[in-house]
Amino acid sequence: MKLYEFQGKEIFKEYGIPIQSGNLIYPHDSLDHLSPPLVLKSQVLVGGRGKAGGIKLWDGSKDIKKMIEDLFRLKIKNEKVKAILALNKVDILRELYLSVTFNKSKSTSVIIAGISGGVDIEKVAQGYKKQIYFVPFNSLLGISDFQIRFITKKLKIEDLAGFKKIVVSIYQIFQEYDALLVEINPLAITPKGLIAIDSKIELDDQAHFRHQDLFQKLLKEIQAVSGDDLITTKSVDDTITYIPLSGNIGLVSDGAGTGLLTLDLLAKYGGKVANFCELGGITSPEVVYKALKKVHQDPNVKSVLVVLIGGFNRMDEMAEGIVKFYQESPMKIPLFIRMCGTKEEEGKKLMDDAHIPIDDNLHEAVKKAVQKAMEN
Amino acid sequence: MSILISNDTKVLVLGITGKSGSLQTKIMKEYGTNIVAGITPGKGGMEVEGIPVYDFVSEVIENHQIDAAISFVPPQFSKDSCLEIIENNIKFFVITAEGIPDHDVVEILQYANLKGTKILGPGSAGIIAPGKCKIGAHPPRMYIKGNIGIVSKSGALSYEIGKTLSENSIGQSTVVAIGGGPLWGLKQTDILPMFEADDETRTIVMLGEIGGTMEEDAAEVIKKLISKPVIALIVGKYAPKGKSLGHAGAIIEGNLGTVESKVDALRNAGAYIAEDSLDIIRLIKQIEGK
Repeated sequence: MKLYEFQGKEIFKEYGIPIQSGNLIYPHDSLDHLSPPLVLKSQVLVGGRGKAGGIKLWDGSKDIKKMIEDLFRLKIKNEKVKAILALNKVDILRELYLSVTFNKSKSTSVIIAGISGGVDIEKVAQGYKKQIYFVPFNSLLGISDFQIRFITKKLKIEDLAGFKKIVVSIYQIFQEYDALLVEINPLAITPKGLIAIDSKIELDDQAHFRHQDLFQKLLKEIQAVSGDDLITTKSVDDTITYIPLSGNIGLVSDGAGTGLLTLDLLAKYGGKVANFCELGGITSPEVVYKALKKVHQDPNVKSVLVVLIGGFNRMDEMAEGIVKFYQESPMKIPLFIRMCGTKEEEGKKLMDDAHIPIDDNLHEAVKKAVQKAMEN
Repeated sequence: MSILISNDTKVLVLGITGKSGSLQTKIMKEYGTNIVAGITPGKGGMEVEGIPVYDFVSEVIENHQIDAAISFVPPQFSKDSCLEIIENNIKFFVITAEGIPDHDVVEILQYANLKGTKILGPGSAGIIAPGKCKIGAHPPRMYIKGNIGIVSKSGALSYEIGKTLSENSIGQSTVVAIGGGPLWGLKQTDILPMFEADDETRTIVMLGEIGGTMEEDAAEVIKKLISKPVIALIVGKYAPKGKSLGHAGAIIEGNLGTVESKVDALRNAGAYIAEDSLDIIRLIKQIEGK
């Protein structure tokens, strides 16, 4: 779950990280209490809003009402602007980059600090490795003083105490909120000290179970702004991943690895995939039943391929779900099933009894599904 | 020899009374795995498939020698049970659960590192040495004994390739599924040198997929440490492009992670690149001169 800037900054404030004062503005709010200079920032969850014109400075010379209306008309990477954060302008002497996240390939936590922050931080990372510092730390021990002093020296920061407070705070947020990323970009050096100009926080949906009230509250705020009920945190039980594509073959697989292999094989044999539904490793008759319903809803689907190879996943349970679907909805669209693995004998018997043919060989099943999609 | 496990590895099963845990225990035992004890807190004194169940790992250790453990505990309770295994100095541990919060996984892995426990997973389907032992969910009929070592991210893909090899009468020494990530205990870079040192393994098959930089890291290891032939299959060439992970992800990964970058790195390291599952058979026959 990604948080809006204003949500992140409320958390920053709670943890004592300096931020600019300001107001959140919704469409049709009164603007009478505002006075220049203000930075008007569109609240969206996608990146690159500055370059898309989503951030404006109001110095008092233009009509604020018009500026706000223009921002509310903006769409940034398909995301409509539904709230604007109006912040008091500060004088920036220098911009830094600071974040805490996981270095996944090394399985450690890491502080990332950049001597120059701002909108082109990825380019800085690729072009000027020397200007970005990766400081890994052990999650059981937390961040040590020497690591903070090291970053302070490399980033040429004079205010050691102020910077230390910020690093410790983002680390605490990272831990206490089960965050995947806490990012300040830019962190500004100003005549009044260090100030977090932006916030980007992403929380781990897998940790929902231990922050139920908190995550629910943040999610409600997100839905109130975006008006989008579709943004939900993934529940652990909901293991289906559904990806719509543009071809005419529906694909259901019970593992990401074989799903990806099957996508490649479908392409090899000339097929085009309409949608891809991955069930996850441990599943149930209901899950495969729902997945079949989902792939059949796409009107472009001409054949459906189900690729099952059970380890944890039981073929007797898969067969139960498939048979239920088959009996409820008379097959207009040809269905090809490759089934093998754990409890396969029991599964094959259920399929035989329902007169549903199955394949054992993946390549054969793929070829049949492609051929049928081409015929229809 | 096989890697990590052998004929007489003595195994402890966590979550042995659960639906998945009890079924997999039955299949593992029938295959010949020496499962000596199980754990489910509050169910100490029970038996599953004739195997004694205990409340605590320390109670197991008092009564049995344990070489390896596997956990079927759900993600919400994983951290506690994993720390208990590591605290009791068990040397090899397979974690099957998917969906453990990243903060928990990092703490488990860092504690395991301090205590010297080798972790396979989380989200791992486990490991099988055909004809000897299996710890995990690998379906037995997909495998026959032989000289190909397989390391895969995905469990299902390691079943698929095992099946394809076995149907072509090509056996395997050990098949390891390290888990789909994004965080791992043992990685491809750890498993490859084990196969290099294993005299039963003649050729190594590495199964990877799009995303992350693990295959690029593996290419470095292949170049420096591996003299045996390595065949690599990277799946996901035709997968829809994924979403970027924000600034921090982009900074760590740069331009790496595509099928092309992985194939380039592996080819430069001297690996044979397979186009799909059947192509692996062709390459094995070519390499082994059959």
